[in-house]
Amino acid sequence: MAEVRLKHIAKAYTGDSRVIQDVSIDVNDKEFVVLVGPSGCGKSTLLRMIAGLETITDGELFIGDRRMNDVPASERDIAMVFQNYALYPHMTVFENMAFGLKLRGLPKDEIRERVSKAARLLEIENLLDRKPKDMSGGQRQRVAIGRAIVRNPQVFLFDEPLSNLDAKLRGQTRIELQKLHRELSATMIYVTHDQVEAMTLGDRIVVLRNGDVMQYDTPLNLYNHPVNQFVAGFIGTPPMNFLSGRITDAGPLRFESPNQEVMIDLAETGYGNALKPYRGKTVVLGIRAESISHQPFTDRTFHRQPVVVEALENMGSETLAYFLVENQRFIARLSAEQNLSFGQRIDLFWDSTKFHFFDAQTEQAIQP
Amino acid sequence: MTRRDKWIPYGLVAPYILHFAVFVAFPVVFSVVLTFHSWNIISPMEFVGLANYTRLFKDRLFWQAIYNTLRFLIIHIPLQIVIALALAELLNRTIRGASFFRAAFFLPVIVSGVVVTILWQQLLGYNMGMLNRILTAISLPRVPWLDDPTVAMYSIAVMVTWKNVGLYVILFLVGLQTVPVQYYEAADLEGATSWQKFRFITLPMINPTIFTVVVLSTIGGFSLFIEPYIMTEGGPMNSTLSAVMYIYRQAFQYYHMGYSATLGFFFALLILFVVAIQKRYVEQEI
Repeated sequence: MAEVRLKHIAKAYTGDSRVIQDVSIDVNDKEFVVLVGPSGCGKSTLLRMIAGLETITDGELFIGDRRMNDVPASERDIAMVFQNYALYPHMTVFENMAFGLKLRGLPKDEIRERVSKAARLLEIENLLDRKPKDMSGGQRQRVAIGRAIVRNPQVFLFDEPLSNLDAKLRGQTRIELQKLHRELSATMIYVTHDQVEAMTLGDRIVVLRNGDVMQYDTPLNLYNHPVNQFVAGFIGTPPMNFLSGRITDAGPLRFESPNQEVMIDLAETGYGNALKPYRGKTVVLGIRAESISHQPFTDRTFHRQPVVVEALENMGSETLAYFLVENQRFIARLSAEQNLSFGQRIDLFWDSTKFHFFDAQTEQAIQP
Repeated sequence: MTRRDKWIPYGLVAPYILHFAVFVAFPVVFSVVLTFHSWNIISPMEFVGLANYTRLFKDRLFWQAIYNTLRFLIIHIPLQIVIALALAELLNRTIRGASFFRAAFFLPVIVSGVVVTILWQQLLGYNMGMLNRILTAISLPRVPWLDDPTVAMYSIAVMVTWKNVGLYVILFLVGLQTVPVQYYEAADLEGATSWQKFRFITLPMINPTIFTVVVLSTIGGFSLFIEPYIMTEGGPMNSTLSAVMYIYRQAFQYYHMGYSATLGFFFALLILFVVAIQKRYVEQEI
């Protein structure tokens, strides 16, 4: 039983400027929750508050049923994997992993058993006699995880554990972390600035910005139903394309970009009613790169947009086409067999069932 | 390059070479030569072979002086390290007035040894010393700080520690600040107590500093001179006669220049030997 509950948590270092505003999150037992956001959003601070490495200015933290605000880090029964691993350089891998158990006064046999069990799980049995400086980044990373799992804690915390690895190793380790989470079936809270890591690892994801929770939801819901423009732009690669424009009702309700480069009849988008109150006001249209196609959709409504190809990135399996709409760069993810060239004039088709609209003032999503 | 340019670099290093030759190389070579001679500065040098060395091994007072110096070191080095490390640990926290304390602890280091020694003489005097007056005021017996052969050297050790500790506090502070804070945070989460963090993380991590401090205070301690020279003149009963003091006496009171050089030479080898042992047993690879 180790759910983690944050109730109106706030953090201020000096005076009134709060780095964490008012965060309330429930992490269920055995859940893998990822805290994600741009640097400076407070995700690491939040994690360190859960760990007990930072004091909590306001609000309450519960782990299980126990209020942890004033419980020292050592008694929270939490293990943390640090960004730079924080392996003790003067100890061997075995000693590093055994350190916490030794401090708890466990018998030597049990320590050896637990360490070798964890080492087997992480496939680092052959490294037990090495010192951290004699290992690669990936190996150190495993040892850091090993040190966390030998203690069998209630909650695992990860502070950007993959950021020091190269891209290939990052991908592999992501998969191993998923596997580890299933095998240990423990509560895990994971901090990253990388939305791909967040999407692939998290059961649920907390998107943070300036110390506030923007959205707390499953990866797919974040992707398909972002609650505001920030989440929409942050989740997904390439990022969602945005275009601001006015809602007009001379005739049918329409979205018009400032220079009338884009005119969309809203009746076919499902937003017809939702956007009525915005008549005469500015809204932001959002559309993902994969919702733009080079040929008309047969099974759904679409918007036809003539564009000039500005740049192309051929990825093999797909082609990213860049073009300007109202002087803003848009990206479309097209199938690779397109024979496109720079400067070419083409028609692109926007899936109008996949439009997102945001209030230009509040940046909140407008629900269809 | 013209002919003249070619000589400019030599001209630039000449002052240093000259200084090195006159004040370092020459004295070293000359003192080695001296160890095989008898010389009282006035009469011409007389070659005596290994006589100075055989005399050294039979010189009970010299061995007494070595013994005294070791007795001094046994107290001085551990005391210095423990106090300096403890003070550095305290100053490493964010306490109010930390920079004041840092300066205060460092002050004795830059004060002249003679001044400090005279000051401590006032403190440690048997009848009128401040320490004994405090003791009598609270009805405790006086302690013969500098007048008892078994106590005097230890009193000096305490005093020298007081004088030098500030320097080692600074060294330890630098050492402590090189330990990344994540190690302590990781240990916090592992459930380590303050003592366990100090024992298992701080101590091994600052081993290079500890080794430096041990070597520096060993070398400094071996050259103990001013304090006993002014305070006790080596007494009582030669109990505070340090090795350097004895070498000094042989040279400038008895004018046994050859013998003094031999003692100095032997003493330097002894220091080298002790430091080599320390390197073997104190220094650890991180």
